[in-house]
Amino acid sequence: MEQKLLSLQDEAGKNLDQLVDAGQLEDFRIRYLGRKGQFSTIMRELGAVAPEERPRVGQLANSIKEEIEKLFEEKKALFGGSAQSGSKGANLIDLSLPGRYPERGRLHPVTQIMNEVCAIFEAMGFSVAEGPDVEHDHYNFEALNIPAHHPARDMHDTFYVSDSILLRTHTSPMQARIMESQQPPLRVIAPGKVYRCDSDITHTPMFHQVEGFLVDTKVSFADLKGILTVFTQKMFDKDLPLRFRPSFFPFTEPSAEVDIACVICGGSGCRVCKQTGWLEILGAGMIDPEVFKMVGYDPEVYSGFAFGLGIERIAMLKYGINDIRLYYENDLRFLAQF
Amino acid sequence: MKFTIDWLNEYVNTDGITSAQLADHLTMLGLEVDAVTELFQELAPIQTALVLSVERHPDADSLSLCQVAVGAETLQIVCGAPNVRPGLTTAIALPGTTLPGGVKIKKSKVRGIESYGMLCSERELGLGSGHGGIMELPADTPHGQSFIHVLGLSDTLVEVDLTPNRSDCASVIGIAREIAGILRRPLTLPVESAAIQASCATFSVDIESSELCPRYGARLITGVTIAPSPWWLRKRLLSIGLRPINNVVDITNLVMMEYGQPLHAFDFHKLVGKKIIVRYPRMDELDFTTLDGVARKLDADMLMICDGVQPVAIAGVMGGMNSEVSDTTTAILLESACFDPISIRKTARKLNLSSESSYRFERGVDPGGCLLAMERAVRLLCEVAGGTAEPGGVDKYYGQKPFNTLTLRISRTSELLGVPLDYEKIADALTSIGFRCKEKDADTLWVGAPSFRVDIEREIDLVEEVARLIGYNTIPTTLPTVQLSYPEQDTNRIIRAKIGTLLAGIGYFEAINYSFTSEKHLQWLGLAEGDPRCHFVRLVNPLSEDQSVMRTMLLPGLLENVERNINFQKTAIKIFETGKVFTPKGDNEQPLERMRLAGVLSGNRFGESSPYHCKQQTVDILDAKGAMEYLLQGLRLLEEGMASPLRFTLSVQDQIEPFADPLQVLAVSAGDQELGIIARILPAILRKFGIKQDVFFFDLDLDALCQLAPVAKNFTVLPVFPAVNRDIAMLVPETVAAGALVDAVLQAQDPLIEQCEIFDVYQGDSVKSGFKSVALSVTYRSSQKTLTEKNVEKVHTKIVNMLGSKFEGTLREG
Repeated sequence: MEQKLLSLQDEAGKNLDQLVDAGQLEDFRIRYLGRKGQFSTIMRELGAVAPEERPRVGQLANSIKEEIEKLFEEKKALFGGSAQSGSKGANLIDLSLPGRYPERGRLHPVTQIMNEVCAIFEAMGFSVAEGPDVEHDHYNFEALNIPAHHPARDMHDTFYVSDSILLRTHTSPMQARIMESQQPPLRVIAPGKVYRCDSDITHTPMFHQVEGFLVDTKVSFADLKGILTVFTQKMFDKDLPLRFRPSFFPFTEPSAEVDIACVICGGSGCRVCKQTGWLEILGAGMIDPEVFKMVGYDPEVYSGFAFGLGIERIAMLKYGINDIRLYYENDLRFLAQF
Repeated sequence: MKFTIDWLNEYVNTDGITSAQLADHLTMLGLEVDAVTELFQELAPIQTALVLSVERHPDADSLSLCQVAVGAETLQIVCGAPNVRPGLTTAIALPGTTLPGGVKIKKSKVRGIESYGMLCSERELGLGSGHGGIMELPADTPHGQSFIHVLGLSDTLVEVDLTPNRSDCASVIGIAREIAGILRRPLTLPVESAAIQASCATFSVDIESSELCPRYGARLITGVTIAPSPWWLRKRLLSIGLRPINNVVDITNLVMMEYGQPLHAFDFHKLVGKKIIVRYPRMDELDFTTLDGVARKLDADMLMICDGVQPVAIAGVMGGMNSEVSDTTTAILLESACFDPISIRKTARKLNLSSESSYRFERGVDPGGCLLAMERAVRLLCEVAGGTAEPGGVDKYYGQKPFNTLTLRISRTSELLGVPLDYEKIADALTSIGFRCKEKDADTLWVGAPSFRVDIEREIDLVEEVARLIGYNTIPTTLPTVQLSYPEQDTNRIIRAKIGTLLAGIGYFEAINYSFTSEKHLQWLGLAEGDPRCHFVRLVNPLSEDQSVMRTMLLPGLLENVERNINFQKTAIKIFETGKVFTPKGDNEQPLERMRLAGVLSGNRFGESSPYHCKQQTVDILDAKGAMEYLLQGLRLLEEGMASPLRFTLSVQDQIEPFADPLQVLAVSAGDQELGIIARILPAILRKFGIKQDVFFFDLDLDALCQLAPVAKNFTVLPVFPAVNRDIAMLVPETVAAGALVDAVLQAQDPLIEQCEIFDVYQGDSVKSGFKSVALSVTYRSSQKTLTEKNVEKVHTKIVNMLGSKFEGTLREG
């Protein structure tokens, strides 16, 4: 029996050295250390050993078992402690199973882009102000140098609530509201919902804009270019080409539209950029002296610039969304993508 | 505004400039090019052909069997046109060609005879309405050539998206002037100057409302022959999408596109009394048929052009049927006038009638240009329509403005643009497009704006012109130098952002719904008529009935979202929205706008998580409550103990929303103020929204919530001594709220009681009916010492006895 024990120890030791994975380790455990394993089988012979020899043999058996167990544990630790008792492979952890985590919702893509836009301007010292959705004709148009029957009103398909109350068609009324109640220097952005009675694949009757303006002494068109260049580079890509081209808004002069190189085709021309290679993302300009006069600022003392951008459009360009109506259907398959 | 490059070349030479470069120049000048299109590309495969012989088709009287020469080839063609004859040069579509109408030409057998192509009419080629026969090309046209090449049709269409200020560019000459300026090339005009020498005795013009008609010019042309226009004229109109009508009308349209001055030709013999009166209509003249054949109802303040007895045109908008030029017209009264932009705009708006003419007048037509355009048209009428211009004419010019000379400061321009400029640079830019500049002093220019630049009135307008002409890309990019200041933070906005983050963190998706909604949704919710939320801000001009009122609640929009998602097999739904609701205050007053937070939840509780880990369980009211507890704790508005600004309470019966399940509704309140509710929606209400599964919701007044002071963060010393946990299972009547047991334990205010939690509520076999078992876990701890079994037992027994007597409960046996 002594011999058997010693050769078992020898065999088990060699065997253990050759094991390469946790499954084999479990086989080893059953074969040598299990209830019906080889060690138990040998131990049944202890009764046949002479009584005076039994304590010694028993002691030897114990030490050999401990030795094998120790080697087994070491090996097991090597395999990540994953061999456990039980039948072959039954309790091995299958790492292909899904991880366990609490469910996660998402913010609406419009909110995400809005937050991004605001954060860029806040970092440049702009404060954030919000205003009413249902606005006076005065703030939406008159105070922005768009009198009644001005052709520029054609650019705004307006929802009316009454003769003088309407749903704001842009966030620009906040320019007039804030300038009316505060003195320069001013650095403000005004995010919010705006409304136009228009609905098709590229227009929804409600959408989101961010208006921004900066008023101080000696603000120049070059400064406007500077701030909007920083914004565009932060929002999109540092190396994205952009261009400023003349445009018209009744409340700014000179007015500009800002284009970025088409993010879809890289500027070579595609359907999204109408083959021009450019995408319009911002309207801007130097605040018109008439607007300053209406809020009581002296245009000879103060100058400033204003800009406005559409959030949905930026999200469409950044995320490649092809239909603006998706924003307001609140389809979870859509919302879960952002 | 549309023009073609061939047309543009009549006024400015664009040799060496590609259409792409031209488009880029225009765009960078503020005349944004929308599209550049090669014209008539669909006619590229069409060739010219000479008919050699014509025989009758043996089996069809109306068909001819023709031998046709196309270059070196002679083809057999079956043709049904009456005008086909030997020696005729016409257009042929060979097999494989697709005509503009979509017809594909194939080699085919017509009544048993092979035909190798088709001879085409104008209409088949999309070039006009003539379908009397195949096209007749000039006899000297070579055959076998490209049709569009031979006819000079190859051209490039450019479409410019004009801003409202640039009415001068609603003309090909206006565009040409900008191009000539940027290229520094000369501009050639067909008519350089014009004047009316003497008045014309044959007709008279009387302006009754001169304030709306700054200028009215008219000339009489007799002996005209109405006919289709010559090919070059039709080509110009076709190329920009205008339909050729007849030589007279086509000339007025051509000159309008050329000079930007709308013209109108009256049939002179239809003008009663040989006179024109510009006036408002009389009350019996309010029914008027425009030349598009539509009977229109006029307003008394619409300016009309009348003859001796009645209106004959809506001034600046559209002519009347009664004075329209027809095939029998022989004398033309040509009008070249200028009307008040606002008046025209109002009229066009009211009649919902927009024309090329009204488009230009609304934006401002230069009164100074009326005679030039008229002279151009008169010459063409004589040339093309065989007319004779009667000497003299009428020129009533009331609105002549004194010549407007502006001053422009060089320093101001440089400062505003942020680029150093001098006299030379500024003058060079401005004069390139017709401004006149003169030095006033070292820092100032006198600038004379051409009369067609009706948009130039102030110094700043000139600053913009300078910026535009030197190019925005030559202006440097700098950052403003400003005083440092701390941007003000809007706390409501910050709280809103926090709410979004918290709710998204527990599986809620943010929705954004339209601010306008349908009235019927609130009826579906069963709101009583007197409910303030049935009092709407109503849109005067909604896009549809479904978007006709401003929302007073967020819930209907969210329920629509639920229905939509279920329809798309997304049944596990947790969504929220923060948005405004609108309450009217008074007519011509802004409504009250309040921000609310609402959310709905429905379907599987663990929608996003793997089903391997989570049992399929549907959400219930406690999920809604839990979401609110999580959120409000996150905002530090819901805290244990008396300091909590918010509480959840059972709603009082008569305050329950009609759409909420009265057995599953909780009020969220701060002191006496109710801020919102959490509830299950009644299935009958949901069915109206098309939803068949259970939906729970929460709805809070966000503005009020933002007013609450959050619980301050206050450090409590960490306990030094261990806690002891004891469980109690009480059998209490099933009507007793489990929460009441917890409250009772905590309200006992024993200093040793640290916490009490419900860990099980059970009703079933081992519990007698009418009762439930509520299992509580109570944590005991002393701040002074380690509690002994004896210390705890004493308090615990007291608690058990208190619960027993207070709730008629008994300790549940093991």
